[in-house]
Amino acid sequence: MTKRFVAILIAVIMSLTLMISASAYTYQYISDSAGKLTYDEIDELEAYAEDIESSYGICVMLCITEDTDGMSDIGYAEKIYAENTDNENGIILLHNDSDNTYAVFTSGNADEVIDSEAVNEMRTAYDSNNSYYGGISDYYKAAESLLANGEAVSDNQETVTTENDTSDEKDGVGIIWIPVSLGIGLLIGFLIINSIASKNKSVHMQKNATVYTRPGSMIITGSADNFLYKNVERKEKPKQENKK
Amino acid sequence: MPAITEQKCPCCGGGVQFDSGIQKLKCPYCDTEFEINQSGNDAATEADSISWSNADNQWSADETDGMSVYVCNSCSGEIVADSTTGAAKCPYCDNPVVMKGKFSGALRPDLVIPFKLDKNTAKEALKKHISTKKFVPKAFLSGNRLEEIKGVYVPHWLFTCDAVGNANYKAKKIKKWSDANYDYTETSYFDIYRSGSISFDNIPVDGSTKMPDDLMESVEPFDLSQAVDFNTAYLAGYLADKYDVTAEESMPRANERIRQSIIDSFKETVKGYDDVENHGASMNVANGLYKYALYPVWILNTKWNGENFTFAMNGQTGKFVGNIPTDKKAVTKASLLLGAGIGALIYGLLWLIELL
Repeated sequence: MTKRFVAILIAVIMSLTLMISASAYTYQYISDSAGKLTYDEIDELEAYAEDIESSYGICVMLCITEDTDGMSDIGYAEKIYAENTDNENGIILLHNDSDNTYAVFTSGNADEVIDSEAVNEMRTAYDSNNSYYGGISDYYKAAESLLANGEAVSDNQETVTTENDTSDEKDGVGIIWIPVSLGIGLLIGFLIINSIASKNKSVHMQKNATVYTRPGSMIITGSADNFLYKNVERKEKPKQENKK
Repeated sequence: MPAITEQKCPCCGGGVQFDSGIQKLKCPYCDTEFEINQSGNDAATEADSISWSNADNQWSADETDGMSVYVCNSCSGEIVADSTTGAAKCPYCDNPVVMKGKFSGALRPDLVIPFKLDKNTAKEALKKHISTKKFVPKAFLSGNRLEEIKGVYVPHWLFTCDAVGNANYKAKKIKKWSDANYDYTETSYFDIYRSGSISFDNIPVDGSTKMPDDLMESVEPFDLSQAVDFNTAYLAGYLADKYDVTAEESMPRANERIRQSIIDSFKETVKGYDDVENHGASMNVANGLYKYALYPVWILNTKWNGENFTFAMNGQTGKFVGNIPTDKKAVTKASLLLGAGIGALIYGLLWLIELL
């Protein structure tokens, strides 16, 4: 009887553990520490997000959480993004479910394609659906749509740029840079010459009277070095571009 | 009318001058050299009885306010001088004269540092000073301006004291490290306190309003170990002023320098930090003494484009200072030429980058 009870208890604990781990499992694109999605839903959304990244080169992530580890929403979003992808171009929408706040972190050139208006559009798409899965699906659909439009615009711009480049080569690339170079040169020249000319001034009040200190007369009678506090600043390293 | 003293040659009766090269009095007429009588009972001076005469001037009281009139013992010419002038030359016979009353009694300086360097040295120093500078107007180098150099004994108050003080500093220690994704900077903040004492000897403060304070402090330091007891004979051949800034009026400047010295000296004992910044200090001065001394300074006053330029050379050490006028056209021309050259270089580099 006791053995049977222990076996059942172990089975229950294992089941609970699996449930907790499944609900808190973090995938590459979807971070659901709040446990709002099922495995199947996450798998489906992950596949969708992977397609978007492979098509447009932009990593579109989403994070639902109830605890940001004491960090700000944007700081936590940045952390989740950095931990889950090496793609420097991307966006992550963080939904803090505990106080229903949102934060959007964009990395690399993602903000060139997904501007603030587009971000709002994506967030609204997510927010307007009643279910989490539906909202996230709408979020990815909106992202795909915006990226597709952005690519079309980008292609047009590239065509125009190529044409302009051809015309620049005809005129000579350096022509635009002549006044720029001259301006920079004049600025540097002005600074150097004025620095030399400023040395013509040698009259100034003495700062102190240490030269009149009686040799060996300084006696330190009291000394205290008290630690106050420390501050740690962290800056993300610039990521190197992938060479094609 | 105030009295003047003239150093006379005991051999020929000519007016003698202090020769900085031999550190003796020398007669320019018969080349006789003789020691300065430190007792002040100079035989040459005593030989001539000083005659007083009332100048028949008709100036109003307002006009003569701040001025004194003297009569030259050699030529009886009338010398009108600033009330603070203590030594000068007679404008008629060029004999050096000392206004005796300006340096007697309570006004008598305790010390004088005799001129060690002569006018020629000062001329050379000026040439050297100017030659090391750039963009000096060519006309400024003309010889005529060098003739305007004059030796002046400048009154200084010398302050000696024991200062007790304390100072607070804020200090930082900065530590940097990196991992794969981030650069970290850890800044630790400290509150530092130091207290102690320092003694100062003979901090000089300019006692003349005629001399710019920054110019006088720029020619420091003087070697006071070479100072001698005051004797009017050292003034012969030079200009000299009595103080018109009292010791009490000069004390704030001395205190200011002492306070900054405490801050700077104590700061040197704060070690092991990346940045140390003073945040207040206080001090008390004890055993304060002051002396009155005359310091030798060669002065050149000149004008350039309506602006006054004053140069000074330490008459003892030869330290030469002075703001040199800048040829603005030359500066503009050089800036344009150098700027164009750098611009061309940048442009050339851009082409090279484009080609590569």
